Amino acid sequence: MQEPVENQPIKTSPRGSRQRDTRATSPVVWGQSGAVMAFYQSGALADIVIILGILGIFYGITQVGHEWTGVLRPTVLIDLSFRALPRYTFFSLVRGLAAYCISFLFTIVYGYWAAKDRLAEKLLVPILDILQSIPVLGFMPGVVLALVSLFPTSNIGLELAAVLMIFTGQAWNMTFSFYNSLKSVPQDLQEAGTIYRFNWWQRLTQIEMPFSAVGLIWNSMMSMAGGWFFLMVTEAFQLGNRDFRLPGIGSYMSVAVEKGNVPAMAAAVVAMVVMIVALDQLLWRPTVVWAQKFRIEDTSQEESMDSWFLDLLHHSHILRWVGAASSVVGHVFGSLVLQLFRRPSRNVPDSPPVVSVPNKHGVPNHLSFSVVFSRVMFFLLAAGLTFALVQVVRLLMSVRISEWLHLLRSDLLTLARVTTAVALGTVWAVPVGLRIGLSSKLSKIMQPIVQVAASFPAPMLFPAVILLLTLFRVNIGFGSIVLMLLGTQWYILFNVIAGAQAIPSDLKEAAASYRVTGRQRFWSLYLPAIFPYLVTGWVTATGGAWNASIVAEIVTFRGETLRAQGIGSVISEAAFGAKFAELAAAIFIMSLTVVLINRFVWHRLYTVASTRYNLSK
Amino acid sequence: MEDSVQQPVLLSSENITQRFSMPNGNMVTVLDSITMEIRKGEIICLIGPSGCGKSTFLRILAGLMHPTGGKVFARGKEIADLTPGVSMVFQMFALFPWMTVSENIQSVLVPLQLPREEVEHRVSTVIKMVGLEGFEEAYPREISGGMKQRVGIARGLAVQPELLFMDEPFSAVDALTAESLRADLVDIWDEAEGQPASILMVSHDIKEVVYMADRIVVFSANPGRIRTIVQNKLARPRDYRAPAFLAMVDYLHDIITTNELPDTPPVAVSTPSQPVYEPIPPVSSGDVVSFVEYLDSHGGQGDVFVLAHEFGKEFSDLINIVKAAEMLDFIDTPKQRTVLTPLGHRFSDMDTEDQKVVWKQQILTLSIFKTLHADVQASRNGTMLDDEVQDRLVQLLPNENPEFAFATFINWARFGNLLAFDEDSDEVSLQ
Repeated sequence: MQEPVENQPIKTSPRGSRQRDTRATSPVVWGQSGAVMAFYQSGALADIVIILGILGIFYGITQVGHEWTGVLRPTVLIDLSFRALPRYTFFSLVRGLAAYCISFLFTIVYGYWAAKDRLAEKLLVPILDILQSIPVLGFMPGVVLALVSLFPTSNIGLELAAVLMIFTGQAWNMTFSFYNSLKSVPQDLQEAGTIYRFNWWQRLTQIEMPFSAVGLIWNSMMSMAGGWFFLMVTEAFQLGNRDFRLPGIGSYMSVAVEKGNVPAMAAAVVAMVVMIVALDQLLWRPTVVWAQKFRIEDTSQEESMDSWFLDLLHHSHILRWVGAASSVVGHVFGSLVLQLFRRPSRNVPDSPPVVSVPNKHGVPNHLSFSVVFSRVMFFLLAAGLTFALVQVVRLLMSVRISEWLHLLRSDLLTLARVTTAVALGTVWAVPVGLRIGLSSKLSKIMQPIVQVAASFPAPMLFPAVILLLTLFRVNIGFGSIVLMLLGTQWYILFNVIAGAQAIPSDLKEAAASYRVTGRQRFWSLYLPAIFPYLVTGWVTATGGAWNASIVAEIVTFRGETLRAQGIGSVISEAAFGAKFAELAAAIFIMSLTVVLINRFVWHRLYTVASTRYNLSK
Repeated sequence: MEDSVQQPVLLSSENITQRFSMPNGNMVTVLDSITMEIRKGEIICLIGPSGCGKSTFLRILAGLMHPTGGKVFARGKEIADLTPGVSMVFQMFALFPWMTVSENIQSVLVPLQLPREEVEHRVSTVIKMVGLEGFEEAYPREISGGMKQRVGIARGLAVQPELLFMDEPFSAVDALTAESLRADLVDIWDEAEGQPASILMVSHDIKEVVYMADRIVVFSANPGRIRTIVQNKLARPRDYRAPAFLAMVDYLHDIITTNELPDTPPVAVSTPSQPVYEPIPPVSSGDVVSFVEYLDSHGGQGDVFVLAHEFGKEFSDLINIVKAAEMLDFIDTPKQRTVLTPLGHRFSDMDTEDQKVVWKQQILTLSIFKTLHADVQASRNGTMLDDEVQDRLVQLLPNENPEFAFATFINWARFGNLLAFDEDSDEVSLQ
């Protein structure tokens, strides 16, 4: 999924010159006086930033280590003073980043395995598809209880549970992206790799990873944003009368709400926004800009982007040393791998690669270690799945017909809510998104804001919204629609803006010159043109809404539980009450609904969008 | 050139056959028992119409693909995997866009595990050889197509191969650039001292082949077979305008046209119960109409080769247009000339509405249109689903790609107002 890029003022700087003209490209906000510029360009500033960064990371590691290995507390005492907030925010950030690292490793291993082993692929891809449709939040109580009992004396269990939950919110789309990239490496690049006898390591690092980089980075950004949602839920987690809260920005918010401390609530929201913006500026944006070098040439997106932080780093001496050192290390490691995986006959320059390249018929040329290993792993996985499947079926068998009917009714209610939420989101986001996307001035101002809003975890705002809802005496059955809308509407807006920006100017000019205006212009130009983007927005929004139903249909507000009938609240309650049969049945029904809707609604709309409304054909 | 027959055989193929299965389960033969050899010190070019499997054959010789039948021998030894000592230059360059020019070349030297100095030496040598000095640190996206192919060639030379394979290497660059690349390549090969010893190049450009090759292997399509092998003993350096050069071009061109457009088409022995279905060339009705009109306004006749040039089409594409026009009786093709028929002349003078009437009448003389039109007429409500039509096409034309055949069929039928096709409902119906 190629997500929209912000329309920044574009400089097409020649790639060849590594040293960029900083004066022309980087918005130095602290003034352009000669002394400052000289300081900046000498690289000293960059070096200071890096040293401070390293020191900060070391301090952070000690703090996190202290916290994680600390004695398990029955209840977390959250300090609501502003002074404590940066520390909590940092803890939350570390959880998010730790989960991201796991997601990344998972992505590489799983995606590579699925793409390279045709037998495993038949199992791995459907599993991924199912994992993507399962409401993972339903598993949270089980995961928390299991991990806490594994580490009864320290916080590690709870921390791991949080990281694991965030991971489940991040990993799947990244893995799909990587897998799809691996499967779509252009044939001539693959052939070049084969004819020049690249081994698997060289293929991975020089062809496959670079080719996947752009998609993987965009999906990483999406995943990170999605992860915050899970972070908020896990940090402020209470099970029955047990309090599993972790010190973090989520628990800070929940305590602030409990105490009715409005300034603290506002401070938490601000801290979250600061964290999102800082991550974007210091991590994602430089990465995206750096990854432009991995674009395959004739992509339509001609413009390039800039990142002030990356420009700053470019001047650093320290980084240059590190870069040089790591290239040496990489070289040594690369040839080490070559040596390791090379057949003993060194004087034959054409010994075939050990990792067999499957030929046209998909038959590996020789049975090597990797093939055997892959087969063994495959059968272990298949055995594990079979066992799990048997267990689940046995659980499901124990559910009575009347219970199934009840679940089905709840599922339809939630379906109605999800549909309403997406419809409401569409009704306001399409006109607003068109307005923003069609004006380059508005886009420039609004797009970063929308991006932050989309990354902002909606559960953090739930208490405030519920307060408003109770003030206006809105039933939670309808109120939960608002809660779902809160998180998912941004995906629609986001995509509509991108779609509006991509409308070719000749079509707009044609419409203007034939005086096609108002309603007709909307129906015959704008809507068809943004349709493919709208479908992407709908798919993401719907997925988010289903997941949100688990936390939106049942909410605790000032010690009082508000509950709307629906499959989401059934899952929540079953999980809290450890009623596993009911939980399994409810998750099964919800997943089935999601899968069926994917197959029969979104899949078809995608086909229509990519054939009839594709502007690039 | 020394007589290459005396030289040892570097690579040979024996009865290479390649079949692909189509989505409908039919097998299509792309290559049919190809036997040939590459000797030391020669440039061999494979030429033929598109779809004759010449690129597939190149990949089989390189060991990138395994043939359905037949064997490849490198210096007499049968190969099971990649062919040793082969490097390859690709049509679309296949450079790694994330590496600079010199990194691209270095990357193929890594598997050879050469000492660092040797790698640097080789990189700078090949860069000098192909004239890329000053572009070492450029990324592929910054340089022109011609420059990119120079990198492709440099990369191929860097591993010091015995054989350099080239898959239509100059078809993605403009004519002028292609000419200078060819000249440079021949020079490099002349001075290369056996690295590479021989070059095998796939091409569809007759002039290019005559310029480059010592031996020219002419393929015919459906299924791909070697039509003939032509020795090209013109002295080097060759001149595109020399009479001997042009005579060679004409000679090759005669071979290909008489092969693709035989004077006496194999008479279809059709009995009323079992009509023979001729495949429809994959060209649009618009191309056929404009070709007929072009011919009419340019004297009513012309040489296929010259016309291809004037009409701005690839030679092999134009041959398909000519075939289509001939099937519809608009033109006649004695030898390699195309001559407008009286019908073609009248057709060209008509307005579009009348042209459509004549077009309909002419396509209905083809058994494939007659049969399918009757099928649609006989079907319920006079409509058939596109899948049903495609299935029929597969039955009647088992050797054709069903999707292309369907697209062409619909295009021709729509132009003649014979049948209508609604993409939304997937229905083919009577007009």
